[in-house]
Amino acid sequence: MTDDVRDLLLDAGAIYRDSPRASVVIRECLDRLDGPLRVAFAGAPGSGKSTLAAAVGERPTRALRDLDFLDDPAPGVPADATVRLVRHLEPDELAAARPPGGSAFARQSAVNAVLVLARADEIGAGRIDALLTAKQLARRAWREDPLCTGFQGVIAVAGQLAYGARSLREDEFDLLAAFAAVPRAELERYVLSVDSFTDPAFPGPIPVETRRSLVVRFGLFGVRLALTLIRTGCDDRVKLSAELVKRSGLGELRDTLSGCFVARAEALKARTAVLSLETVLAAEPRPHTDRLAARVERFAAAAHDFRELRLIADIRGGRTALSGDPAEEAVRLLGADGTSPADRLGLEPDADPDEIYDAGLDALRRWRHEAERPDRPLAERTAAHVVVRSTEGLLSLFA
Amino acid sequence: MTAPAWLEVLNETLDACRTHGRADLAERLRRRRDAPAGQTRLGVLGFPKQGKGYLLNAVLNAPVCAVGDAATPAVPTEIGYAEEPAATLVGLARERIPVAVERLTGELGARPAGTLHRVEVGVPRELLSAGLILVDTPAIGDPRSPRTAAALDILDDADAVILVSDATAPLSAAELALVRHVRTWCPNVVVALTKIDASPGWRAVAERNRAALAEAGIQASVLPVSAVVRQAAAKASDPELNARSGFPELLSWIAEQAARPVEQSRALLAAVGVRAAATELVESLRDRAEAAGQDAGLGQAALLHRAQRRADDLRRQNTRWQNLLSDEIGDLLADAEYDLRERTRKIVHHIDRTFDEADPAKVWDEFAPWLDSTLAEAVETNYSWLADRAEWIAQAVATSFGAQYDRALPDLRLVGSGIEELADVAQPRIERFKVGQQMFTGLRGSYGGVLMFGLVTSLAGLPLINPVSLGAGAAFAAKTIKDEGGMRLQRRQAVAKQAAQRHVDDVFLRFSKDCRDAIRLVQRRLRDHFTELAEEIADELTHERETIIAGSAERERRTVHIRREIDRLAGLHQRAGELGTIAGRTRRELPA
Repeated sequence: MTDDVRDLLLDAGAIYRDSPRASVVIRECLDRLDGPLRVAFAGAPGSGKSTLAAAVGERPTRALRDLDFLDDPAPGVPADATVRLVRHLEPDELAAARPPGGSAFARQSAVNAVLVLARADEIGAGRIDALLTAKQLARRAWREDPLCTGFQGVIAVAGQLAYGARSLREDEFDLLAAFAAVPRAELERYVLSVDSFTDPAFPGPIPVETRRSLVVRFGLFGVRLALTLIRTGCDDRVKLSAELVKRSGLGELRDTLSGCFVARAEALKARTAVLSLETVLAAEPRPHTDRLAARVERFAAAAHDFRELRLIADIRGGRTALSGDPAEEAVRLLGADGTSPADRLGLEPDADPDEIYDAGLDALRRWRHEAERPDRPLAERTAAHVVVRSTEGLLSLFA
Repeated sequence: MTAPAWLEVLNETLDACRTHGRADLAERLRRRRDAPAGQTRLGVLGFPKQGKGYLLNAVLNAPVCAVGDAATPAVPTEIGYAEEPAATLVGLARERIPVAVERLTGELGARPAGTLHRVEVGVPRELLSAGLILVDTPAIGDPRSPRTAAALDILDDADAVILVSDATAPLSAAELALVRHVRTWCPNVVVALTKIDASPGWRAVAERNRAALAEAGIQASVLPVSAVVRQAAAKASDPELNARSGFPELLSWIAEQAARPVEQSRALLAAVGVRAAATELVESLRDRAEAAGQDAGLGQAALLHRAQRRADDLRRQNTRWQNLLSDEIGDLLADAEYDLRERTRKIVHHIDRTFDEADPAKVWDEFAPWLDSTLAEAVETNYSWLADRAEWIAQAVATSFGAQYDRALPDLRLVGSGIEELADVAQPRIERFKVGQQMFTGLRGSYGGVLMFGLVTSLAGLPLINPVSLGAGAAFAAKTIKDEGGMRLQRRQAVAKQAAQRHVDDVFLRFSKDCRDAIRLVQRRLRDHFTELAEEIADELTHERETIIAGSAERERRTVHIRREIDRLAGLHQRAGELGTIAGRTRRELPA
């Protein structure tokens, strides 16, 4: 795919050799094809972009190491994928967060955005189950709200908590552990609000400023959650940090980023390049560019990755008739858990090629059957066709 | 009891609103005027997810309002005092449907949007027993949504408003605009800063909000509160914790609103309402006056100018077509006469040539029908040519009117050439040379011959009558007869020529007159036709100009009227301000 796009760009570069502006754009596109995938964090002011970008980007996990994170990029800077932040799942905010339209190809391949309900810890007046509630809200919005259909996922994340947890220091853990040691009934009124937490009457010798820095770093909700977790068994820093990260929703966000973006980096970078090329073609039409435009169109029609990503989002968002095990198998075959043949077929990475081939044939047979059942509605058969195409693709590697 | 002063001012403003087509403002003032006495209505407004529900529940210490992600009603909820908890749905037609309090949420969810007017909830709370009503509103959002409209609707009869904004962020531009709008219609506003328990920086946010309000010139205090702390305090019955929740301040503000003397409060509200309505009305009137003025300025002059130009054009056009018509008719007269003369002259030539040779006595019977038909043809041709020319003239004049000529040409058909009435040529008296006359003439001629040659031959001794003289007599007779015949022929030819020529002359005379008449008729018809048309266009223009001038006068009148109304409203505004001052506050002056 990347090679196709590179050829396209080189040919376009030849045609636009005399136009400095177009040449610059095309050269940038070529450079970016070899560069890292650029993921932008976007959202209204105060939605916690920088915090979340830091939580994901500082000391990233191995899967996300090759990403280039842009914190709230300027409008002119193209990003390959977008993490869009909202504070509430209110219709007004969601409408503002919808990905922009653009050309037919841009809309058809709009599989490069996830929606994040940032500051999930503020949901439900900061009760201890706030994050759970937020997760359910996000899940429901993704499944039910038509304003959320353009996203590869809707994920609730407590950005501040996640950032604090990733960088939890030993001394902070000790402090929290010391607070957790105070009897719950006695402590309760002091973790009611920020004011009470920083009240001079707080039991123990910890100075007000230290307590304040703690609450600023983790949020009152984070402090309460940490205390509860320590009391229920997270008795060292690593454990607490891991548990907080897990609960903050950062893990889910990272999984989505690696599944939807990192695994498809080539396709997404190619998409960005093709979109830039489309703009150039539209802005400066030349005698031979219609042939180029036709090639762009052909590329758009043939790009199977975007179809796979869309279908994964639709199946996971509950917008298809698939559910249960068939749905699981479909998203796996579509490459939601990794794009190697073994990953797609749910086998061990070191499985015997013959075994992989046989499993592939078996899956192909079953999904072909699904794709051709006349008693199924058209949408379902179309979805099955996409799965068939993915399976054929993985089998073709053995040919 | 005399009506209070504010009522008079309010009624006057209300009438003005109604007169100027602002029924919405009139309705607001009416609701303000007819607000039930003995009630203090306290509206709670805010953008979504700011904690309105938590705040109200904390004020009441009871779970009355939906909180969190539970669905909130799209209509206002009025919370008043009741001995026992009760809930009533009020439909659009003001029908009341009592429902159990615990089933309220389900009932609300079951009803389709737009079928309810409001929800009433009664709770047994001391705070509400003095007639205080708290109104929870749908979240403010999209300015066009019915939810927003329903929320802002409560401003019409609210005595005071709590605006809810959370401490995680300072007041946004939209929130500031909302406070300003609320403050215009309702003098008692407080901004409740919620969620201070979870926001480490709430003190800074409160300061920024106060500064922003002061900068915008809005008198509204900021009260930081925490519903969570209030709840915990209620659970633990901890007055110190309660004090920290910030709610005691908010409750005392609420009590202050409820405790204000009724008359004073109503007067103040009326004054504020009048001022707000007057300001808005003046604005819309000013817009209207400006629009009218612009209309009058540019459009007026251009229209008048155009009308003037068209009138000038018309005048020039009139001269042009009149000249054209008279020239053409003059030409036609000359041409027609010449044509007819030319044709008759040819006929006369022909007659001459004919009778130079032919003997009328022999050819007349043939000649007369030929002459009649030739004459008829000549006249007919001339006539039809005339009709064509008349048509052409009409076209030419019509063309000179240009695009304005939008009707059919007048009927120019001539009343037949009258050729049928043409009298046949009368046969002249043609003398023939009869046998008797020939004999007599012969005898008379022979006499001379006989005598002449008889005398000569008598000298030769012959008798007077002898063969020679007889022969000479015969020869003389023949010659005389021949001579006489020739003379008679000439005479006959002359007579015939004369008769035919006279006939042609008669015909010419008569038809040249007819022709002239026909042309004059055409001229008259065309003149009448086009004069009428020109007059119509002139009338139209005059009317148009009158309309324009009258329109500008009307507009002028209206502008003056609007200005007068603006002045009157400014007066009302002033009086309302004075009343407001009497009621205990000073107002900002209306900007000029």
